[in-house]
Amino acid sequence: MSNAIEVKNLNRVYYSYQKSVGLMSSIKGFWNRKHIEKSALSDINLTIPAGQVIGLVGANGAGKTTLIKILSGLIPPTSGEIKVLGYNPFERKNEFLRNISVLLGQKNQLWWDIAPVDSYQLLMNIYDLDVTKTQKKVKDLAEILNCSHVLETQLRRLSLGERMKMEIIGSLLHDPQILFLDEPTIGLDIVAQTSIRNFLSEYVKEKKPTIILTSHYMDDISKLADRLVIISKGKLFYDGSIDQFTQNSVQKKRLKITFENPVAQSAQISDEIRLIAGTNTIDLEVEPSKIADTINRISQKEAIQNMSMEEIDFEETIREFLKKE
Amino acid sequence: MRQFIKRNLAFARLGIQTNLEYRFNFFIDAAVQPAMTALIEIFLWIALFAALKTETLNGFTKESYLSYVIWSSFIGRIAISWMYEHLMMDEIETGSINAIILRPMTFFEYYLSQLLGYKLVVFCFSVLVPLSIVFYYNLPTELGRLPAVTLMIFYYLIFIHAMSFLTACLAFFLNRVRSFTLVKNFSIYIMSGELFPLDLLPVFWKNIFLKLPFSSGVYLPVGYLTGRVDTELFLQGFTNITYGLMVVLTISYFVWKKGLGSYSGTGA
Repeated sequence: MSNAIEVKNLNRVYYSYQKSVGLMSSIKGFWNRKHIEKSALSDINLTIPAGQVIGLVGANGAGKTTLIKILSGLIPPTSGEIKVLGYNPFERKNEFLRNISVLLGQKNQLWWDIAPVDSYQLLMNIYDLDVTKTQKKVKDLAEILNCSHVLETQLRRLSLGERMKMEIIGSLLHDPQILFLDEPTIGLDIVAQTSIRNFLSEYVKEKKPTIILTSHYMDDISKLADRLVIISKGKLFYDGSIDQFTQNSVQKKRLKITFENPVAQSAQISDEIRLIAGTNTIDLEVEPSKIADTINRISQKEAIQNMSMEEIDFEETIREFLKKE
Repeated sequence: MRQFIKRNLAFARLGIQTNLEYRFNFFIDAAVQPAMTALIEIFLWIALFAALKTETLNGFTKESYLSYVIWSSFIGRIAISWMYEHLMMDEIETGSINAIILRPMTFFEYYLSQLLGYKLVVFCFSVLVPLSIVFYYNLPTELGRLPAVTLMIFYYLIFIHAMSFLTACLAFFLNRVRSFTLVKNFSIYIMSGELFPLDLLPVFWKNIFLKLPFSSGVYLPVGYLTGRVDTELFLQGFTNITYGLMVVLTISYFVWKKGLGSYSGTGA
């Protein structure tokens, strides 16, 4: 399998101007500005084979979107080597642009003042697509996404969910080899999120594009991605499978205990565990080696009616990780 | 080439389609404003000649001036692109430009074709205003020259778009560049001969302005249409635009390249 993306020693620094609070600093800043540098990405190395779906995860400001911007050719790197489909993305050659698609969940890619069908017609001309085939594709995709009824309504009059479905159709018309999806389900309700997620899942199975996906919804990542890449403070923190990440990270299990009667009196079981008077249940996250001891100590204080133990899932693992960031 | 033409015709249609979505705004822009501007100019110049109690000014009659101002107010409104200039600035300032530069097309052609498409429609609607007035007042106009004049206006629009593109590119480096647009447009307003015919300027300044491409926006086409300018001088206007285009496009190329290098993909 050939590589769709190759990144070596990638660095990106942003320059901005720092201003203290107040009018005086604004006056001072009129002729004397203090410029600062911020490293957004540092020494990133990444190889992505064609057809792989990458879930790119990290806290806000970790550098995910910067990486997408660089890989798609929107901004140049400060240093490093990048090849996307064999091209230097920042040269933005037409042959390269014809083979990628960028969907930024917080930005419109279609035209605000006209109906999606008109936008698609424009895209047919921009990408030089076959009219009949593309019209059929629009019809099919709209049916799958259940949004055929709004194809002729001005984009600005559509709901966020409908708009995102239209954006997704627009981004797939030219059968891109690489899809950059930055927060494609942001702000959508659970029904729209699921619909888009299922659609993308089917699309990936059928067309096998390379996808770089960022999302704050870990369901998107766990259901779609073959591989997880975590960026932390501009550096590559993890690159591997989702299962491996969860297994490596989870050092605790979730223990849920139900008592026969409400707790009669509050009691400290250990440094981290306290029974509270009047409660019927307790939820704990316990290290495997301490499970038996914990259950023993609790059962000495209260009669246990029921008990269950769960693995902590991917979403929670990521949440814990991001909390520490 | 076929693909380039196909794509740009689509952009031109987009320019027309987008503006026709806002019918009221289009009606004001294409009909009300030209009519009002023409009426103001007529009253102003009639009042001026009445106050001066003269039949001619700098060798031209009242009817000649009236014809000039009627056509200059019409052509001056066609040969300007502040609306698309502001749109281009907005795209850069807000990051909406991302959706354009990541597609196989250029930002320059995208807006140029929209501008030309929209101006063509506005031209067809608004030209009825000066035509009605010159017929009604029997003002001197050589209508056979209108096709050549139209050609010059649309060629000049490419130059004006290049100027707008260059100005918009400044938004890569500066957060607010609209004040610059205002100063630039006011300068063009004077240098193009829209505010008053360049014949009223001292010869030295008139000759300088005639060598600049801006005079091809209003003074030369209107002068040619109203009989003030001969064919040789009119044709010189095309050359001036060509030189102007070469200079502005060369500067724009470097500013655009530099701008993209410093662009941070705002808002994405």
